[in-house]
This record gives sequence, structure tokens and C-alpha cells, in this order.
Amino acid sequence: MTASVLSRFGTRRGFLAGCLILVALIVSGCSSRTTIEPQVFWDSIFHPSPALVNGIGLTLVISVVAQALGVILGVFAAIAKMAKFFPFRFAANIYVWFFRGTPLLVQLMFFYYGFPAAGIFKWPAVVVGPVAILPEVLAGIVILGINEGAYMAEIVRAGILSVDPGQTEASKSLGMTYGQTMSRIVLPQAARVIIPPLGNEFNNMLKTTSLLTVVSVLELYNTTSVAAGHSYRFFELFGAAAIWYLAMTTIWGVVQSWIERRFSRGSGTSQTGAAGPRNVGFAARFMSLRAPIEQ
Amino acid sequence: MTISIDHDLLGAIGGVPRPDVDVVVDARDVNKWFGRLHVLKGVSLQVKRQETVVVIGPSGSGKTTFIRCVNHLEKIQSGRIFVNGHLIGYREAPAGRRMLPIVGRRSGPAGAMKLVEDKEKNIAQQRQEIGMVFQRFNLFPHMTALENIIEAPLQVRSMARDDAVVMGRALLERVGLAAKEKVYPNQLSGGQQQRVAIARALAMKPALMLFDEPTSALDPEMIGEVLEVMKELAREGMTMIVVSHEMGFAREVANRVVMMDDGVVVEEGTPDQIFSAPTQERTKAFLSKIL
Repeated sequence: MTASVLSRFGTRRGFLAGCLILVALIVSGCSSRTTIEPQVFWDSIFHPSPALVNGIGLTLVISVVAQALGVILGVFAAIAKMAKFFPFRFAANIYVWFFRGTPLLVQLMFFYYGFPAAGIFKWPAVVVGPVAILPEVLAGIVILGINEGAYMAEIVRAGILSVDPGQTEASKSLGMTYGQTMSRIVLPQAARVIIPPLGNEFNNMLKTTSLLTVVSVLELYNTTSVAAGHSYRFFELFGAAAIWYLAMTTIWGVVQSWIERRFSRGSGTSQTGAAGPRNVGFAARFMSLRAPIEQ
Repeated sequence: MTISIDHDLLGAIGGVPRPDVDVVVDARDVNKWFGRLHVLKGVSLQVKRQETVVVIGPSGSGKTTFIRCVNHLEKIQSGRIFVNGHLIGYREAPAGRRMLPIVGRRSGPAGAMKLVEDKEKNIAQQRQEIGMVFQRFNLFPHMTALENIIEAPLQVRSMARDDAVVMGRALLERVGLAAKEKVYPNQLSGGQQQRVAIARALAMKPALMLFDEPTSALDPEMIGEVLEVMKELAREGMTMIVVSHEMGFAREVANRVVMMDDGVVVEEGTPDQIFSAPTQERTKAFLSKIL
């Protein structure tokens, strides 16, 4: 609602109007019985408990690792989907079909609880150097990563198809092998097409980690939920959680625009070879309307 | 490249040119179909070392398809193409032996031996000896001019970076673009891009250069600079097959002109013969339209 007012009024006036409406809504909705403890909210932001810090850290780490896994799987699945060898295509298609066709929540329950319950596979605790990874965290990362790979496969495939076939021919004619052609010529150019939707995927990933609460990973959502269950401060604690998620996605937005600029080398006409919204500040980009890519 | 090499051993994998072979390209009765369309109907052509052959003919005559077959960018269904004595893209296998249905596609009418597509790695190795210049340049847009040139020597020949850079700069100098080393392709004119593309192909020190209508995508005022580089190459003794509509270039540089139409070689001869006294009606008709 505030969004529509915003876009109608334009920039500053719209923002002001939006704030006023928000305040009015809160005030009118608040009866004398309202009990908001602002201190709980501010504390969760400026003095987060060790558990909360841990949860935020876990959300970040799981997102990054799962996304990385997803990208790697996606590249392989995309290449397999375009392979001449039928079994590769078949396997890749089955993979994408299954993981895009079932809810992540079902996949989590099935692989984390279902597999051990059936005695097929038990998620182990893994020690990597000084860090011990709990079984549920490992399962969370792996399942999120595999799920993400299925979506990335289509994104990567679209990216590869967007590269002029002449590029492959030029590369082949120089004696480069398929692997060299892919890694040195095709994928770097496909990256320009892949990265904007990849940014969306990672933004989603940051938020989707909250589903790991069903396998009892103590990430940001679960930590907040536990704390709220104790104190009944749902408004303040989940308000703060929203701010934390926003902080992460916003910082990612900045990082993403930086990455996009890096990967547009050679595609524009500027003398440095960089293209894209180079001189456009983040704020301006933030205000610009961008159609989100839905999953 | 002057160190002594066991040619028989390397010959088996299709690398390294063999100076003892005087015929660089030997195409014998090449047939190619695109689906049902018979685009090459028994094309045979020999190109000797240091020779420049210009292939002319109306569009759709199969001339571009033919030179793409020479470095196996296109598959052929029958016939043989040898470059430096190596069968390109295929190995011979006894006919009659059936491959797995998934792997062995129908390989056309076969004699006693049939063609089986070679391993991707071997084909890549063969292509190192064959430079190709495309109509639309196909420079790598994410790399600078110099990076475009040194990419294959670095990746394929595992050349030391410093040596590659020295060689790349020399090549850029040779095509008159020494100042454009750090420039990306999209900041170069068409003519400049094509010259970088030629330098890129030369960086692999090929025994043969294929030019696929190298000036057709260029503005008229840029054609000259590209042809100039090609003339220079021909003078230096590069073996070249050029598909082109530049009759002036053919007249001046070609040792031999080959006229193709409808998938066959209609006529071949010296430029004088072809342009002044063509023997075939189809050649006459084509030249009357184009000159």
C-alpha cells in the first residue's frame, strides 16, 4: 500500500506520505493495551545476544556455501543438459525435474528425517579443520545446495545459450578443447547473463535458510523464534529479525551491483571496457524499478 | 618448431605439420548433407604449400561449408579431407562393424572403410595447425586485443606468458595495431577487429589459413586494410584458402581461382584463365553478374 503511494508521488514527498500513513496506522491500531518494549527491539539490533549473533552468522555461512554448491551443480547440470550423450541429458533432466517439482520443505523432511528413519543414510557430523559442522547444518547446506542447483541449471543454460555460437567456433578453430572453450570463452561471457538472476537467487537463499528451522538448525529465524517463545516479545524480536534480514539482503544488493559491473567487461563502449550502471549510485539503482525474477 | 620431432608418432595424433608433404590440403570427393539438402556433391581440391587459392561462387554454392569442413567445424558424410597428410576429423574404421546405436550415427554411403568421427582431443590438436578467420571476426569480447591473440598459445600450447606477450605484440605490430593492445574488440572498427582476428589465428603458427569471406561484413573503406594484411601473408608464403567476393584480390594474389556452384567445383584455373577466358557457362554467368 505504501509502495503504491510512493510510486504515485515520486521520491521525497511520497516517502514522507508513506511514513505518515504508517505512523497513522500504528497509532490508530494501537489501543491503550499496546505493550511494545522498544528496548527489546533496539537491543536485538545493537546488542544482539550471542545466540542471535550465532544465528546470523549461521544464516550467512549456510547461504554462501549452499549457493556456491548450487552454482557448481548448476553449471554441471546445464552442461549435462546440453550434452550429446543421452544418459547425461537424462540424468540432468531428472535432477532438475525432481528438485524443482517438489517443495523444499518436503525435500528437507524427506532427506533429513526420512533417510535416517528408513535406515538408508544418516547425516554425520563433519569436522573441517577447527570447525565442527553439526549434522543438521550439513544436511541443510547440502539439501539447499542441491535444490538451488536445479534452479541454477536453467539459469546457467540460458546464459550459455546466450553466447554467440561464433565464439565457440572461433575457440575450437584455435585448437581449444571443449573444456577450455567452456571455461575460458563461453562461461565468462555467459556470466554476464547469469549474474543478475544469480543475485536474485542468492537474495532468495538468504531468506530461504529460515526453512532450515524444520531440521532444527539454529539460524536467524529459529533463534528469534526460540527467544520469542520464551519472552512472548514477538513484535520486537521478529521486527528485529526482519531488520537483520534486510541488512543482509541490502548489503548483498551493493555487492551484486559491484559484481555485475566487473563482469560486463568488454560489453559496453566506454574506454575502460566496463559497462552497465557504472556511475549510478546504489541509491539510484535502489529506487529504479526492477522486475524480480520469480522462481 | 625446428627441433627434430618423430613425425610418425605425432602424425598418429595429427599434430605438427610435415614439411615433406608438399600438398597441404587434399580433399577427395567430399560429400555433405544438411538433413536432406546435398550441399557438397563430391568436392575435390588440392592446395599446395605456399599456394593461395581463392574460392568464388554464388551464395549457397557450398564454398563456405567446404572450408568449414577443412577444419571440421562441419561434419562430412563421405570423402576424405587431408591436411598435411592427416585425415581431418575422422579415423577410418572397417565398414560393416556396427557401433553402438547411441554413439555411431549413420555415416553415409561407405566403401570398404567408413569414417568414424575422431576423438574431440585429436580434432582439437589438428585444428591447431589450421588458422581460421571468420566473416564476423568472432573475437572474444571479454578479452583485450592482446589477450585475444595470446589466449590460444597460453591455453593450447602452454606457452610461457612472457613469451606469448612478446609474440602477441609482434603480431599486433604486423597487422598495424600495435597501439590497440589493451583495447577491447567493441572499441575497434570492423577492419581493426578483423586484423586482430587474423593475428589471433597466426599466433598458433598454422600451416594453413582459411578465410571465410573475411571482408563481407566490413564497411567498404575498411576492406582495403584487411586485404592488405592478407596480401602480405600470401607474399610471405602462407598457404591460404580464401572464400571471397573480392575479385581484385583474387586477380592480384591468387595462384589459383576455384569456381564453385551448387555444391560442385565448376572450374578451376589461374586468375587470368578464370577471369579472362572462363570455359564454363556457369562461371561466365556468375562473373558477368559480379564484375
